[in-house]
Parts: sequence; C-alpha cells; structure tokens
Amino acid sequence: MPTLTINGREVTVPQGATILDAARSLGVDVPTLCWYPQLPIVGNCRICLVSVAGSPKLVPACATPAADGQVVTTESVAAVENRRGVLSMLLERYPVHDIPDGGSRNEFEALVRRYNVPTTKRSPLPLRTGDERAGDPLIQHDMSTCILCTRCVRACADIQVVGVLDVAQRGEHAEIIVGADGNPEHAGCTWCGECVRVCPTGAIHDLIPLAKLKAESAAQPERTVRSVCPYCAVGCQIDLSVRGNDIQRVRSPWIEETTPNIGSTCVKGRFGFDFAMHRDRLTKPLIRRGWVKRDGTWRFEPSPDDVARWGRRGGPWREIREEATTRKQRPKFNPLQSLRLADAPLGDPRDRVATPKEWYEPFREATWDEALDLVASQLVRLRDERGPNSLAVFSSAKCTNEENYVLQRLVRGGLWTNNIDHCTRLCHSSSVSAMQRAMNTSAASGSMREVEHESDVIFILGANTTESHPVFGAAIKRAQKRGATLIVADPRRIELAQRADIHLQMLPGTDVALLNAMLHHVLECGLEDKEFIRTRTHGFEAVREAVAPYTPERAETITGVPAHLIREAAERYARGPKSSTLWAMGLTQHHTGTDIVTSLLNLLLCCGMIGRWGAAMMPIRGQNNVQGASDMGAIPMSYTDYLPVTDPSVRRMYAEAWGVPEERLSLTAGLKVTEIVKPESGVVGMYIMGENPIISDPDVAHAEEWFRNLEFLAVQDLFLTETARYADVVLPGSSFAEKTGTFVNTERRIQLAHKAIDPPGEARADLDILIELSNRIGLPAPFADASAVMDEIARVTPSWRGVSYARLEGSGLQYPVPDAQSPGTFFLFDDEFPTADGKATLTPVEFMPPAELPDAEYPFFMNTGRQLYHWHTGTMTRRATGLDSREPTPTVEINADDARALGIADGDPVRITSRRGSVVLSARVSPRVARSQVFLPMHYREAAANLLTRSDVLDPYAGIPEFKVSAVRIEPVTAERVEEGNGKRSTALGARPAAAESWSD
Amino acid sequence: MGYPHTSHPKETPVLSQYFGDPGARSLDGWKQRGGYRALEKALGMSPADIVNEVKESGLRGRGGAGFPTGVKWSFMKPGDGKPHYLCVNADESEPGTFKDREIMRWTPHALIEGAAIGAYAIGAETCYIYIRGEFTEPLRVMNAAVKEAYAAGVIGPNAMGTGKRIDVHVHKGAGAYICGEETALMNSLEGKRGNPRIKPPFPAVAGLFGKPTTINNVETLAAVPHILNRGAAWYKGMSRGNPKSTGTKLFSVCGNVAKPGNYEVEMGFPFKEFLYELCGGPLPGRRFKAIIPGGSSVPIQTVEEAEATVMDYEGFIAQGTMLGSGGVIVFDDSQCMVKHIARLARFYAHESCAQCTQCREGTAWTTRILERIERGHGTMADLDTLLELADQMTGKTICVLSDSCAAPIVSGIKKFRSEFEAHITGKRCPMGATAAA
Repeated sequence: MPTLTINGREVTVPQGATILDAARSLGVDVPTLCWYPQLPIVGNCRICLVSVAGSPKLVPACATPAADGQVVTTESVAAVENRRGVLSMLLERYPVHDIPDGGSRNEFEALVRRYNVPTTKRSPLPLRTGDERAGDPLIQHDMSTCILCTRCVRACADIQVVGVLDVAQRGEHAEIIVGADGNPEHAGCTWCGECVRVCPTGAIHDLIPLAKLKAESAAQPERTVRSVCPYCAVGCQIDLSVRGNDIQRVRSPWIEETTPNIGSTCVKGRFGFDFAMHRDRLTKPLIRRGWVKRDGTWRFEPSPDDVARWGRRGGPWREIREEATTRKQRPKFNPLQSLRLADAPLGDPRDRVATPKEWYEPFREATWDEALDLVASQLVRLRDERGPNSLAVFSSAKCTNEENYVLQRLVRGGLWTNNIDHCTRLCHSSSVSAMQRAMNTSAASGSMREVEHESDVIFILGANTTESHPVFGAAIKRAQKRGATLIVADPRRIELAQRADIHLQMLPGTDVALLNAMLHHVLECGLEDKEFIRTRTHGFEAVREAVAPYTPERAETITGVPAHLIREAAERYARGPKSSTLWAMGLTQHHTGTDIVTSLLNLLLCCGMIGRWGAAMMPIRGQNNVQGASDMGAIPMSYTDYLPVTDPSVRRMYAEAWGVPEERLSLTAGLKVTEIVKPESGVVGMYIMGENPIISDPDVAHAEEWFRNLEFLAVQDLFLTETARYADVVLPGSSFAEKTGTFVNTERRIQLAHKAIDPPGEARADLDILIELSNRIGLPAPFADASAVMDEIARVTPSWRGVSYARLEGSGLQYPVPDAQSPGTFFLFDDEFPTADGKATLTPVEFMPPAELPDAEYPFFMNTGRQLYHWHTGTMTRRATGLDSREPTPTVEINADDARALGIADGDPVRITSRRGSVVLSARVSPRVARSQVFLPMHYREAAANLLTRSDVLDPYAGIPEFKVSAVRIEPVTAERVEEGNGKRSTALGARPAAAESWSD
Repeated sequence: MGYPHTSHPKETPVLSQYFGDPGARSLDGWKQRGGYRALEKALGMSPADIVNEVKESGLRGRGGAGFPTGVKWSFMKPGDGKPHYLCVNADESEPGTFKDREIMRWTPHALIEGAAIGAYAIGAETCYIYIRGEFTEPLRVMNAAVKEAYAAGVIGPNAMGTGKRIDVHVHKGAGAYICGEETALMNSLEGKRGNPRIKPPFPAVAGLFGKPTTINNVETLAAVPHILNRGAAWYKGMSRGNPKSTGTKLFSVCGNVAKPGNYEVEMGFPFKEFLYELCGGPLPGRRFKAIIPGGSSVPIQTVEEAEATVMDYEGFIAQGTMLGSGGVIVFDDSQCMVKHIARLARFYAHESCAQCTQCREGTAWTTRILERIERGHGTMADLDTLLELADQMTGKTICVLSDSCAAPIVSGIKKFRSEFEAHITGKRCPMGATAAA
C-alpha cells in the first residue's frame, strides 16, 4: 500500500495502482486520451505525463506504478508544456476549422480548450485518413478527426474480443483500418459499436436513424435517460439520448459504473431502438369492423361481404403458411452497398416487413373508452357464461414486472382463472421444472461477473452466447483470455465452439447420454465432491446406478462425440476448482428438456459446482424480463415468488392483499401456453399482451387456425402483429422507452428503466391500460404509478420484500432482498438449498432420443434459434432499420458438403419441408452446421421456422415443445416450383425470368 | 579487421580475427580455430559463476546503451518456475552500423556459442536470434550454422552431451528499424505489430511471451566465449581510457573517408588516430567537417570535438555525443549538413511506429521543415520551430526513436547553424546539392 503525494496531498493506494489511479482517487483530473478504464494501458498519447520529484524525465501517469514516497506534480510547468505540445501536434492534422469558437465538441477538443492551445495550423501535414465505412448502415468513420489513440483497436480486441480494427502503416501514414481489406464483414465485425463508445473525437460514430426522427429532433439531445435494453436477459443498462419525443441514439453508461454490461452493448442494444419510432406504431385503439354497441351490449355483426371474403376474423392477407412458400430475394452479400433510395418512393427500402396497409382494413379506429369497454365486457361475459377457464391470457416477458404483476392479479382476482402464461413456456420452463425438482429454485444461482472473473472452467451447453447474449458472450471470451478453460457442448460450431478448449459437438438431442457419460467418468475417476454429495444431496446412489451403463464409449455411439473428449471434458469440469455451468435453449427445447437439464444438474451437484463465488449455475434467460415475468407469477402454477396456486394458505394471503373473496382465486393450476393453443383446451377467449404466438408457437399453421377460431381475442401491442391482425380489439401499448418499470435480468438483478418519451398518438403506457382494464372488470387496482405497484409486489413477495424504487437506482438489486437493509444476493446456496431439509435431490434420468428422427423421407435434423441481428418474431428488430439491413432475408444454414450433394450454392433458394409444412428461403452455406443438419432462424414471418416444428410432443413436466429437433428434407427450388407450391401465380413472379440468377439480385 | 582491408597494426582483432576467412564459417573450421571450447567449459560451470565472470570482465552492451552485461544477466532470477528466454538482437538497422552483419557473415558460430553460453547463464532453454530482414546473406549463413550445430549436438536437447537443453531459433525480421528496439523486437517475435512496449515491466520481469527475458546484442554475445576462454582479467585489461569501458569494440566506418570498413580497437583508443591512421584520413583534397560517431541516433560532432575524443562510453559522452552502436559516419567539407540532417529525419519519420504523438507527428513535421529549408524555402522561424519540436520530441516518448530524430537536429543546428542560415537567406543550397530523393 504505497503512500504518495500528489499536488501536495497525500494519498495511500493499493499495490499495483498507477499514479493516474492515485490522482483519480483524489479527484485530481489528469488529462488522458489513449487511456480508458479497463483497456490495456499503452501509454501512447503522452498527454498524461506528470512530474515526479527526482525523475529527470516526465513520466506517464497512466503507466507508472505509484510508489511509496513519490512526490507528483500533475500540472507542473514541464507537464503543461508537454501537454500543449501534444495537443498542438495533434491539431496539426485535425480539421481545426470545425472546432466551434471557444467551445468544443468532444473529449479532445475539450482538452484543447482546457490548455488553451491555439487552433492555428503551422505545418503542411495533411488531415489524417483511415478506413472509412462508406455505406455502412450503422457505423461510419470520419478519420480526419482520428487522433490515433487506438482506444477503438483495444476496445474491439480486448473488451469485445473480436479484433476488427488495427493500426496499419507507420509514421505519419499510420491509420486505423477495418480488417485487412476495409470490409468489416470479412473481419468478423459484429457491429456492437464498442468503437463508437470509446472514440474520444467522434471519428468513429454511429448513424442516427434520421428517417425516423422528426426534423427538429436531429439537433443536440435535450436529455439523457437511463433505461434497460429491451432485448436479451443480460439486462444491459443503456442511456437514451432524447430530444423532443424522439430517441436519437443509445449511449453506453460509463464503463466504471456497476452495470451488468459495464457499459458495453451489442448491436441490438445500440442500434435496435428505432422500432419505437417506426411509422407502423399503433396510435389509436382498433376495433374489428362489425362490433357494435346497442342497448348497452356489444354485438358482433359483420357485414356479409367481410364474412364472405375473410370469414369470422380473417383479413386481406396471406396466412403464414402461404407466405412461407413465396420467393425471397436475398441481396448480393455486400453489407456496405449503398441503398437505392430512389427506388423506394415510400421511404426506406429496408423496411421490408412494415405492416402491409391492407392489414388495417378489417379494423376501425376507436376511442379508448369503447375499446376498453368492449374488452372488459367480453371478458366478463365469457367468464360468467362460459366459465373462468374459457379464458386465457398471455403475459409478456418484454413487459415490466409491474405490468406482469398487475396482469396476473387481474387474471386471478378478476377473471378467476390461473390460465396465464408467457413465453417462458417456450424457453426455460424445462430448466425451471428441473431446478425446482432438484433444489426448489427457478433462477440462476450466480452472477455474470463471477463467470468473467473467477471461474476456472466455463461449461456452456446449447447456448450461442455471442449471438444471443452478445455482451455476456464477450465476457466469456474475456474470461477465456484471462485463462479460464472453455468447454462448449453444441451441435453447431458456433463462435464460442471455435474458440473453446473442448468442443463437444454432439448430435441434436443426445445431451442426456453425453452428460450421463461425463458423470460416469467423473465417478470412475473418483473426482466427485464426496463431501458435498454426502452433506448436501439426496439420491446419489440411484444416480450412480443410472449412469453406470453410460460409458464414454457407449455415449460416443449415441452422441457422436469421441469418448476421449467426453473424458477430458468431464475431468476438467470436475477438477475445476471453480466451474460455472451455463445453458440455454439447446438443452431446454426438447421433449426431454427437463431430463436433459436434470442430467446436467446431477453432474453439477456431484461435482459440487454451486454455492461458491466462481461456481455459478446459470440458465441464461432469453427475454429481458422472462425471469421477472415468471417471478411475478405470470405462469399458470404459481403466484409471485413461485408460491403455488394450489396451496390454500397462499391463496388466503393473496385474497387478503387484493381484497377479493378467497374462493374467487382458483386452487387449480392453469393451462400452459402449449396447452392453451389446442382445440381441446376449452379456451375461447384470450387477452394477449406483447406476444406474437402466431410466429413463436410450434406448428404455426395450426396455431394460426386456432386463433382464427377464438370467440374473442384482444391484443395489446406496439404493432399490428401477425397475431394482432386476428384480434377483435387491438390496444396500442408502449415500448420500453415509453414507460417506467423494472426488469429482472438473468442473474436475478432487478433494474429500473425510466420513461424517456411519450407513447405516440393516443397509445398508452401498458400499466395504465392494465389498471383501467382491471378496474373495469371489477378488480380495483389502486395504483398511482409503477412505484406503487412495486410496493405491493414487495409486500406479497418474500424474496423482494426489501425492494423499492428508491433502492433500485443505479445498479439495481439482485434478489433475494429479504429486507430494506439487504444489499441483495450475489450468489445463492452457499450453505443450503431452499428445500425442506436444505438438501438438493439428484434424480436419475435415462437417455431418450428426440421424438422425430431423420429418415429416408426427411433426412435432415432441423434446429431453430436466434441470429445476432434479429430478435424472436422480428416485431421489433425487423423495424429497426440498421438491424434489418444487416440481415434482411431469411436464410437456412447448411453444411457445404450437403449443399454440394444437393446442388445448392450459397444464396440459392431452397425449400425445407417437414411433416407439418414447408418454407422457401435462401441457403447460407456455413461451416457452423454439421452434415445432415440445418439451422433455421425463427425471426421471419415470410419463412416462419415454426411452420415446421412440432406441437404435439411436449416435455411431460414443463410442456415445452421440441423446437430444436425436427426431421426435414431440403431441396433446391426453381421459380416454377415455388409457384407450384404456392398454388397460384403472382404477377411479380410471372414477370421475372425463371432463371436461378433472378433469385439473388 | 576492416574487411576487406588487412588488419591495421593498431587494431586489436578479437571478434574480427576471422573476418574474410571462409574456413571459419563451418563448424569444423570454427572448432579448429578454438571454437566451442568456451561453451564446453561454460556448461561445466554454474550459471552464477558465468554471470560473475562476465560481470568481472566489465563487458557492456554493444547495441548502444552500454548496460553492463553481467548485471543484466543477474536480473534473471533462477528457479522462479517460469521459462526464461534469450533474445539476440541481430536487427542491426542503425544507419551507419554494419558490425553485427560481419560477425554473422564470417563467424556465425561465434554468435551461436556466445548465445548458448548466455542462455545457459540466464537459465533459458530457448534462444531467438532476430535477424534484420534485409540481411539475406547473414541469414543464410546463420541458418546453415544453426543447422550444423544442431546436427553436431552442440546445441539442442542435449547440448554438448551435457543433458542440458539449448534451442536456438533464427527469426527473420520484416524490415522495420523499430524492431531493433528490444521490446518491439519481442512484440514482433510474438507475431504482433512491432511497437515498443511501455516499461516497466522490464523484460527481465515480463518480456517475451510475458516471461523473463534478456536481450543482448550480437557483438556482446560474440565477446563472451573469449572472456570465458581467456579470463575476465584479460578482457578487463583491454582498456586505455576509463576503466568502466573494457575490451575491444568494433567500429563501422562509412562516409567521406579513405578506407571505410570495420575496425576493432581497444576501448579508449584515440579517435583522432583512429580517423587519420586506421581509416586513412579524408579523401584527397578534402577536410573532415563533421562526424556522427555512434550510429545515426547520436548527436553530431564537429571534427574538432571528434579529434579530442577518446573512444569509450565515457569519452564520447565527454565530447557531447555517445558511443552508441559504433557506426561512424564521416562528412567532409563537400557535404551539405542540412541535406544530411533532413535525410536522417526522413528516415526516422519513415520508421516511427506511430504510437507516441510526439514521435509520429514530430518526425513527420520536422522532416517537412528540414526538406523545405534544404530546398531554399525555409524561414528563420523554422529553426525555432525545429528546436521547439525537437525539445518536445526528447525524453517524452515510450522509446528513444523520437529522441534519436531530435538529436542530430539539435546538434546540427547548434553546430552548423550558419549552413542552415545560408540556405534560408540564399534561398538555395550553397553547396549546390539537393536533398536526397
């Protein structure tokens, strides 16, 4: 702990701290340019040089260790003279005429002003140059303002661990380059914008989505509002720059703030916000034509014309099934091509999924009073006439905790049913059921930071983290750089698999065999944590017997993973000493999802890899609030905090809290998403908030048919989605930026997002809508604002008891937060599990193959999932101009050998057919998929992957469908054959030559 | 011995004894000339004894900085559980310096032997010889010699049959002057851009691949076998001036001199005698005007200063310059100093790695000013700007490339100001020369 003197003030700093650290701890502002917190120190700008007594030369504050007895002067004559010299030298090649008189626009110019450096040029040196990103839809360069601090190079290489940028040339010719050929695509750029964040001059800057802003909103932002990213469950905090009622851009919180993302974002977080200002936003409630109110009663009396054309609730659109087999244009693969704006008189040609105008035809605009009245009256009518269980509600993992809470309160206390569920059913429900069975928990045990900083081994299964949770993916890459061993189990050779120390590339759905074999080997080597097993678990003997037959050799025949790799992975995982276990959809979305997760938990518990800092158990959640929506009881079997609906004492507590008669609250668990959307479910009326099941449910064709046949459907959403177009009433809600509320990320962190702008037109905050609806159906919801809702949540939720808005500012709180003093809980289960006796239970599981295996007719495994640039059903990302321009069309990843055998070239149109349906989309020949496997992204309406998936085989515990394995066949398509499949001839298609070239223009 | 000249009687040929003798290149030939006896002896000694012997000899780094070699070796702590590395800096790129080239061309085994001893002394099993990319012939010779040494078991997993492992790898640079800077050399070896690293940490703590590393110059290591063979006292005895400078030193002489070439003299040899007797003095009808005595990075001397200089580390400093790498560049009275200083600045501007602001911008800016003056377009204010820039470029950057660019500018303007002024006032070069293209 050296003690030194800076500008006459003494300070003691930790060993290893630099002079700069010491100065910062005193609040002494030493100017820096190349230095940036958490980036490697290179000390190249030379502006932080300070005087140290006894040293003949100035020393760089950023790179010189603080030493005992040092006497430092930060603004000595020599230091200031040097700084002026550095700044004036940098100014020689800077566009000085653009610096505002007496003012400054960026960090560098602020220093020029601070040191009063004249902005007149003396040298004939030319302005600096560098690689430009001409035509890039998201990030652009103006390298004349580059000062070569190389922050961007290091941010790319060391924070995001990508390495797109570098310095080329020497001396005065040195410049920042983008990959070897200037093409970010070739260099592996992920458009995360980390370079934008760190650039001190704006030489690297993001593009503002001007087309979506009002003209007057393009000037300097008026204010910055802290929010939480609306995409994945990493829960990145973001700062919205706002002017008027428009968001201009997303900025990163300062890197030294404690946020889950330490200020990083991914491409979606930084560039995916403009959907909120898209012209497709619903601004008024819509009511299906035909609903009339007479004598105080709503009746549906559609015109015979409409019925003849569309049926009870159709419209002038093609069903998902029909659309799937139309031709898809894939632009030639040049991400930087300039856009042909002239060709698109209606605006940005990239908005190719904007809501078609004719979709609005079956609706009329309505007042809020009418719309809410209609919804309330129909829900109450169905409840009373057809029974509470004829109703069902989809809540939303994209909505706040408060909204989910109020909605489930409304459903249970007002509609008297437990039929409420949300998309957790389709993602981690099997993790929850397995974790509930093993240790009575439903969330991750640890934190993302411990994985990054502490874990010795990181075992990731079925999680494409660098695309689906990119900010966490980067943290994992940093962990590996620090020395952690990375073991990846995934059928695809995704980025992390390529980087992994061990890649277990198993056949889809064979996880149980793999994990049982790993445990088998751990036990054979005696590497299990015997003490942990003895003191903290039940059921070990049964599991030992169950895994005994799973030798690595036998597993090799099932999984295709070489036995020696299974052994090595098992040993490294068990030896730890601190191994973290991460998994996502690759494990859960199987008809054996609960078994698969159970076999993983068996391995984890037998190795004792939980309950220590650095040994995290982490199901990586998908949506930004899927954890919170479940915590809030938007699931059919429990109230908040997973208190079971079947328990009468729990019921009594909630009945009291909500002021409803106890018998109104049902003691029967409700239906799950996958059970609701079935003819035999008995559900005839639905309220859907912010979900789009017609794209996200398995076997979409059947789902679409089912929704068509509902008696009443109300949808609360931002856009007229594929689901909303079938609604009787559409209520325009609010985007993440238009409301205050809390979200829970994958590490149980409750975070507060603030309202930045007002909803467009007459659209209302989601919470307002729900409160009013609740009041109208007879369940008073006496909440003045979101904060008041949180107070009630805290009252009824034991592990959130200490949560209040005042405490959530900043980095938020990781629950459990049992009281108002608790700092939250960074990791769980250090001494016991929340079970009756504090022990976890091991459950033996046997391998069962996927329900549908490839055969002669359908010879390929089909896997579905996410892409980097899109999100779920595309409702948001496909309306985010930049994101959609990066990935504009649906593609299927196919192995090069398979493609060759089938005569398919990259970009060719292909038809994928399963027993459920077929889609036409273009092929992307990719080394990531193994032979006989294809990967379909789930985001595209025009080629909905879920037309092919199966809805009739579900996990028996969790009810999750098998999204990850379907048997399909794949065939190249010519234009004629598309038409055949389509059954009709479209004029656009007919006008084109039938040659294959016309497919990829 | 100033190959291709015959040895001058006042020279002390130790390292240069076999320059021009093709027989010394082969392993057998080298052994016949007494080679590898020192290595055999060293492998029988304890590393600490070798380090002490070298310390005792007074051998100092011949790359330019003159740091005591034995002391440098003693920074490598034995038994720290980490791999140690020895890097041989054979990236001899300093303008005016070509001594290491000759050592490698004629006596490759001298370097291998010295490197093997050094590696053993610092506890390294791996030694990298980083050779300048343009040195095609020395590279070929070194590669052949290393191959031969491996085949004969002199080096390798069982060096000289002692069971000790000494691996020697020859690495070809890609033509960057800056890679002769020790930390840039390590970055380059690691496959990174050859940028100098910030110090601390020093290489002995975290060097190549983050492990303790020593970097020695070719000439330094080539002297080590002689020290072990003939004793520290013998080496120490070769010192005519300051006792802190011992042994012999190779000087590469080029420029306006009758007999350019390499000369090996004892430390403390009088520079005047060296220039006029060994090197044959100026060309007929010419007079010496200026000398850069230690490679292009050191301050320029007037001929008067040079004639008063004693050739050792302290002697050159006493006369306002440095021994440096021993590259003596001689200018006679026909030369335009402005032109040569401009040319030097341009070299540094071209070779700047571009990390540090002062170096990247300063070298480019000063070059432009100097070339402008040289063409007759300069102003008197330019001289002040030059001195101001040179001041900003001195002592403020990560490595000393920037200082090296500034040194001849400052000393040039100080000592030959009239030539600069003549260019400015006459609006042309008074010597009629134009700046090198």
